[in-house]
Amino acid sequence: MAPRPFITVLASWLLVLSLCATAAQAAGPNMAVVVGEESYRTLRIEVTGPIDPRTDAWEVWFANREFSRLDEAEFHSLVRRGDTSGLTRPAVGAAYDECRVDGDMAHRDEQGRPVISSQATRWSCDLTGMTPGQVQWIAVVPVDAAGTPLLDVNALQPVAGRTDVPDVRTPPPDSRPVTYALGAIVLSAIALLSFLRWQDAKRGRTRARLAHLYVAPGIIALAGLTFYPILYGIWLAFTDADQSHLGDTAFIGLQNFVEVFKTPGIWRVTAFTFIWSIANVTFHVLLGLVLALALNRPGLKGKTVYRTILLLPWAIPGYISVLAWNGMLQPDGLINGMLGTQIDFLADAGRARVVVILVNIWLGVPFMMASFSGALQALGKDMFEAAEVDGVSRWDQLIHLTLPNLKATMVPVSLLGFIWSFNAFNTIYLLSRGGPYVGFGEPGATDILVTYVFEVAFTYGHYGLAAAWSVLIFLMLVGFSWTYLRQTRATEAAA
Amino acid sequence: MNQTVAQKSYVPAELLALRSWLPAAAAMNGLLFVGEALRASPGGMGLTATGLLLLLALRFTLPAQAGAGRLWALRLLAMALIAVGFGAFMLTDRTLYDVWSRAWLLGPGVLVLAWSFFAPVQAWSTGKGGPEAAEEGLARNRTRLPRLETRALHLFLLHAIAVIIVPVIWIADVAVSPGNILGGRIGDAFTLEHFRSVLGGSQFWIWTRNSLIIAIGTTLVGLALAVPAGYAYSRYDFAGRKGSMFAFLLVQMFPGIIILVPYFMVMKTLGLLNTSIGLIIVYSVTALPLCVWMLKGFFDTVPRALEEAALLDGCTQLEVFFRIVLPLSLPAVGMTALFSFIAAWNEFLLALVFNTSNDRYTLPVGLSSMIPANGQLWGDFAAASIVVSIPVVVLFMLFQRSLIQGLSAGSVKG
Repeated sequence: MAPRPFITVLASWLLVLSLCATAAQAAGPNMAVVVGEESYRTLRIEVTGPIDPRTDAWEVWFANREFSRLDEAEFHSLVRRGDTSGLTRPAVGAAYDECRVDGDMAHRDEQGRPVISSQATRWSCDLTGMTPGQVQWIAVVPVDAAGTPLLDVNALQPVAGRTDVPDVRTPPPDSRPVTYALGAIVLSAIALLSFLRWQDAKRGRTRARLAHLYVAPGIIALAGLTFYPILYGIWLAFTDADQSHLGDTAFIGLQNFVEVFKTPGIWRVTAFTFIWSIANVTFHVLLGLVLALALNRPGLKGKTVYRTILLLPWAIPGYISVLAWNGMLQPDGLINGMLGTQIDFLADAGRARVVVILVNIWLGVPFMMASFSGALQALGKDMFEAAEVDGVSRWDQLIHLTLPNLKATMVPVSLLGFIWSFNAFNTIYLLSRGGPYVGFGEPGATDILVTYVFEVAFTYGHYGLAAAWSVLIFLMLVGFSWTYLRQTRATEAAA
Repeated sequence: MNQTVAQKSYVPAELLALRSWLPAAAAMNGLLFVGEALRASPGGMGLTATGLLLLLALRFTLPAQAGAGRLWALRLLAMALIAVGFGAFMLTDRTLYDVWSRAWLLGPGVLVLAWSFFAPVQAWSTGKGGPEAAEEGLARNRTRLPRLETRALHLFLLHAIAVIIVPVIWIADVAVSPGNILGGRIGDAFTLEHFRSVLGGSQFWIWTRNSLIIAIGTTLVGLALAVPAGYAYSRYDFAGRKGSMFAFLLVQMFPGIIILVPYFMVMKTLGLLNTSIGLIIVYSVTALPLCVWMLKGFFDTVPRALEEAALLDGCTQLEVFFRIVLPLSLPAVGMTALFSFIAAWNEFLLALVFNTSNDRYTLPVGLSSMIPANGQLWGDFAAASIVVSIPVVVLFMLFQRSLIQGLSAGSVKG
């Protein structure tokens, strides 16, 4: 046998011992906290007694760097302590943050919070929803019935654990259903194309003999890899698929949709998404138009230089620009340096909302500018020369000639801009992660629908619920686009 | 008093310009007021607000018609504005930002004062000068007014490019500043340590290799699917043409998030997470609709006469496509390839979800992981982003016209 397993065991023992040492200092004389099992998105904390008899609950706080005060950390969850009679124990794998007391599953109260029996001397909890690939620092703060912490919250000594350890490999999921479905779709696409080809042949359209062959690869790819996932997603919305049981999902009817509408903050996040999209598209169109008009002035010197620089936000990879803005907005970043202040722009809800919108406006203007520039160049010069001769003022030319002629570009481009802003995941995710924090399981202050759905799916692991959100978002977008196009068409008819 | 048409319509160009410039300067000071409010400096807020009100007052003191006088009031207000601007200037440090923000008070003040002593303006507002002066003035306005407008336009565009370019300069500065500090003056220190640590480590090259494999794979697969389809839509009329074109269009409108979860599940079931193939498949399919539309637009511009001649000469349809159409439209195909490459090179969300292990990261996910992870490696991030952006930005700028044209063919007309 190679000596390696022995060394690993020894090393982990040493690690546990050293962590125990820190933990003993951390939790005061009464209690010890250790990080147990580490895995991909989950960390297990183990708390061993003796427990302060005044303890009514434990608050679990975490952060991705070492902290000593609570305001530097995020609240993760609450573990209650008390009488467990009359409460139920969930089955293994049925609840989040699975907690165990002396090896058994812990009881849960009516709200689903874990309750540790007053007699217990040791308990453990699996903290889910950690960002993978990081060192996470965790502190457990016992509080009494009045909510007063029983240890000094300004001198915390949290324990650390890594979240980049992969989960134990589960047996590969049964891939047959997906393979069969894909096969069936590919075969039916081929059948459909052959049928259309046969129809053409029957009608004697021989010139297009190869057309169906040419479009076949694209159509098959589209059917198999876009239409199939969409249908699959709609089906998922009616199932209980989540991180813990993949493969044996069950149909649960409209339960996910009910859950969506019970989400605290659903109206807030929807309202912010619309404010975000409308503010963005308005300023994109407005600024893009103004810049396009400015660059359209005949004989303007340095036009190429201006144009090239103004297109930069489009040319630079979006994630890089957003992260650069993130740096500039830090308390020691450029903006604060310019103003001579130390403001954390992303910490206050109202300010963070304004800031994320401003950054996204910065990102989107060049596309609109380029679209309008193209459209302006396509406008005939004669019209404007005629207007000039007739003594029409510049302003009237803009209102009565330029803008009506740009409408054909403006309608589709602004709809496209709306849809893009609606789905601008990167800006929010890389700037504020949806924060500032509002409540556990609730969308954050700057979350828009798509970033919240991402969180539901990939932080909490509720795939079915996320699919239900996606279906609703899609219906919202379709509804909005349809109304918008109908409205613009109506005004066109009236004009 | 009898006035000629010229006399009635003549207003000196300087005053015409000020009529729109003064409100613009006031609006600018409104913005600067937000900055003072963020500083929570009562002095700065007070002075900026006073300046704003003075600018508005100046706008309404401008003589509206010839002989209206009031130039003294105008000069008094302008001097007050200069005093306010100077006071504000003395109040704070003289950083570049402060100098610029005070210039928005001092500049308009000095300009109004100087122009109020300008002979034609004086003559016009005191009502002196007869029809000849008005004729002369109108002739002068014809060259003077466009020149003033151009200057204002340049000032506006300079502000616009400043907003665009400041983050770029800042990133470049962070990349060459020692340590991982964000603050400090721009250009105060120079070091290549970040470039050395990024380019010398293995991680960056692993991410680059992943991104290159995926982007090139996407381009090849995407073109193989899109070129024949684009050609067929451009040239042939066949059963199902309209329906399938509409299908492509419909997919383009779908927000990515809707298929994100099902894609993830399908890829997980097929065991394609943390592979290059999974991302190549998904990227080439998501870029497919736009590529098909772009290529159809390009093929539409290749004249058909050549193909018809070749067909008459006995070429088969396949030969026509490979020997005539494809070589002729190579630039267009290249443009579409560039588009798919850049799209795959920059994509973040799907890569974040699909490839979660560090050695499978693509550049976007890898670079962003430098920021929230331990220690916030701002310097290394900045150096890496410069290395990653330069090729893309250069390609984009070189081919911007054709790219934008192709994109608008795909997105707007569609």
